[in-house]
Amino acid sequence: MMEKTQISWIQLFLLLSGFHIGSTVLLSPSAGAGRDAWLAMILGGAGGTLLMWSYAVLSMLNPSKTLVEILRDRLGKIAGTILSFLYVWYFIHLASLVFRDFGEFLCTTTYLETPMVVVIGLFAVVLLYTVNSGIEVLGRLSELLVPVIPVAISIISFSLFTINDFTAVLPILENGLMPVLKGAFGAITFPYGETVAFLMLFPHLNRKDKLKKTVVISAVLSTLLGLLVFFRDLFVIGGDLIGRSTFIPHLTSLLIPEFNVEPLLDINLLIGGGIKISVCVYAAAKALCQITGVQDYRGFTRAVLTFAVVLAIWAYDSVLELFAWTQKVYGFYVIPFQVLIPLLLLLLSLIRKGKPQGEVPDKEGNNNAEAVNA
Amino acid sequence: MFGRIRNKSKSGRNNSEEIVQTGSYGPIPPSADAVKASLNEIFSNCCDFILREIACGKNGAIRILVAYIDGFVSKNELNQDVVRPILDFLANEESPGGSSIYNRLTDCIVVNNDIHEAADMHQAVDGIISGEAVLFIDGETRALVVGVKAPQGRQVQEPDTETSIRGAREGFVENLLTNTALIRKRIKNPNLKLEMMHLGDRTKTNVCICYIKGLANEAIVREVRERLKKIKTDAVLDSGIIEQYISDNRLSLFPTVGSSEKCDKLAGKLLEGRVAIFCDGSPHVLTVPYLFVESIQATDDYFDHAFFATFMRLLRVIALTTSTLLPAMYVALVVYHHTVIPFKLLLTLAASQQGIPFSPFVEAMLMIVAFELLREAGVRMPKPIGQALSIVGAIVLGEASVAAGIASNLMVIVVAITAVCSFIVPPLLRASMLLRFMFLIAANFLGILGIAFVAVAVFVHLCKMRSFGVPYMAPFAPLTVNDLKDAFIVVPIWAMITRPKILRQQENVRGAKGSQRQEVNIQQ
Repeated sequence: MMEKTQISWIQLFLLLSGFHIGSTVLLSPSAGAGRDAWLAMILGGAGGTLLMWSYAVLSMLNPSKTLVEILRDRLGKIAGTILSFLYVWYFIHLASLVFRDFGEFLCTTTYLETPMVVVIGLFAVVLLYTVNSGIEVLGRLSELLVPVIPVAISIISFSLFTINDFTAVLPILENGLMPVLKGAFGAITFPYGETVAFLMLFPHLNRKDKLKKTVVISAVLSTLLGLLVFFRDLFVIGGDLIGRSTFIPHLTSLLIPEFNVEPLLDINLLIGGGIKISVCVYAAAKALCQITGVQDYRGFTRAVLTFAVVLAIWAYDSVLELFAWTQKVYGFYVIPFQVLIPLLLLLLSLIRKGKPQGEVPDKEGNNNAEAVNA
Repeated sequence: MFGRIRNKSKSGRNNSEEIVQTGSYGPIPPSADAVKASLNEIFSNCCDFILREIACGKNGAIRILVAYIDGFVSKNELNQDVVRPILDFLANEESPGGSSIYNRLTDCIVVNNDIHEAADMHQAVDGIISGEAVLFIDGETRALVVGVKAPQGRQVQEPDTETSIRGAREGFVENLLTNTALIRKRIKNPNLKLEMMHLGDRTKTNVCICYIKGLANEAIVREVRERLKKIKTDAVLDSGIIEQYISDNRLSLFPTVGSSEKCDKLAGKLLEGRVAIFCDGSPHVLTVPYLFVESIQATDDYFDHAFFATFMRLLRVIALTTSTLLPAMYVALVVYHHTVIPFKLLLTLAASQQGIPFSPFVEAMLMIVAFELLREAGVRMPKPIGQALSIVGAIVLGEASVAAGIASNLMVIVVAITAVCSFIVPPLLRASMLLRFMFLIAANFLGILGIAFVAVAVFVHLCKMRSFGVPYMAPFAPLTVNDLKDAFIVVPIWAMITRPKILRQQENVRGAKGSQRQEVNIQQ
């Protein structure tokens, strides 16, 4: 049925954390709230943790089933397959967004004369090798690379220790509660809700009892790290610039006296973004493989990656369009994928669990047979 | 693609099978003259083959043939322990028939302890060519093989390739039995098992699997046995050949089979639950499974204070990273990331670059290739010349290339540091040499990002690898917290209570916890 490869809870924890930090090292999700973004981040963190916890519960209720299998189980074959295809699209789109962020950042800061397609394309080649090596290798890789991120972040933070202005946090709630709530909503959808891709990975965990704990700890720690980075940025560049600049951590790091740590940021981005794209691509390829009933997901990774690269370049004309789209549309575009469908599935799973087991075995049996075919 | 190459190399050796099995020479003829004739035919044109006929007993009725290879057996021993007793005891006997003479020889005449029977001509010839004396008795279809092998090869001495400050000076030699004895000397335990087998259809090299029963994982021992049996080749001249056959990733740059010349190191590995493979004729003994972390371990670490050992480990990690990455980092910084370099250094850098006609990449390539040439020349040259040449060559080349404006000062420093660092982690010397070029090329194309891309690919490759079923990057990935005590940080030996867990030994605990504290107050 499933691939036999398994990952340990610590690997899953690091993958989740890397996935989280992947984009937040570059963009502050709730920066729209200006100097009050930390409030938004706390609120969003709480909501996001809850959301991720519900994904974990969903996976626990359907043990050793991936998202595609759960969808087909609960919603029937036709509806399940259609929704699965939509999820494949979403995962690819997510990967392409990370690709684009990555490319935009590098091409506006360091590689001014390099075409973006070169940077993204070469990155995709490396990731192709990574994803095709399997989920086990991805887990091990996260053990080697993710710990680099906090180290790099603390190097930058400590270098900036002398130029902090702790009063930058005041005044609190200058513009009322609305921007904060908006920011919190953005935070829930931007890093937390995207972990819906992990529903394709959870079945690989070798100890199911640790799933909820792992997910919650990872969400909380990532939130704390995000807060730390935000406060650092706020104290260094002030509330005004926070609301207006694009790559906030990059801007902050440029202020380190007599030293330039740009490459550290690049490497953070490479690790976090790499994990994020790898997980998305793996999820998409795995979903396609289960929909079509092919044995090995590796046949799809090349196609998925190519599509993601092309999408990353063609979908948005400029970085401004990208950001406008992410701020205005993205939040609503992802609600069905991140909230509605998973919660619906959770509800259905809970109902089935409450029911007596009478009619279930038959259905189960059918689905098992299907899964074997897949 | 690689799979195809691998399959080819597997099937390529099949036709050697026929040549090999021509060695069946049939049974031993009862008549001494027939034996003589057939031996002379088998060993025709072998000037070192000696066949002596003893005729003793009344009227020379008892005829015994002694066959051996000159220079291979200890003649003294042969004369004292075999020939003289025969002449003494059988001088005046009537001939009672071949079979009874054979029994008397084995029971009460031959002094030597190491005797066994050869049932046919093939076994007898095997005995002769492996350095034993073989006795053929007229009227008997069995031959008696007497082990009187003379000690061959050089004395046990300190290995040149692996030197250490603390620890034993004894290194392995070419003779297999000497090597196994050296290990037995250190591990006095009947559970130290030595399984002998013969590899190479023509060379018939003795190969020995060594492990401690009850410690080593049975599955790994079984796997080693099976992989060795699968080797189909006609010549095994060195353990390096075995290494290439049994490696997990045959095309990987990184070693998945360890080799050592040091007895104490090998004893340590065996006691961790690893399996060793001795090969006759090679002083390098292989150990499996071999993990990445072992390349930064040295025997001194365990004999020294844990703090120094930890410091040395960290130094080795730094050296490994430096020797692989430094030239690439330099090129990346100079070509792409000037802003990262502190301003004053940038000025010096610009000054030293002035008048150099090449790009930093070409410059780095030239210097590194020049260094590699010198290194290789130093290895190949006769020892006394080699060292002088490489030192003089390095100074002259370094000084002169700067003076002539071919390379900048800083580049010479970079390459020199790289070169020094590359010798600190010997097992990865070759891997880091090739990776250095890869990183250099990547750095020239994409700067730090290129280096990071290649680094990720290398990490993926490392995480993918296994050595005899054990993940290569353990204990880092997968994380085995218990084994981190002997990775970057070395805990004192009395606190190293368990063996590396990742090898899944049968018995994991080394010693009792109580042994770490024994304070005795003499004054009371």
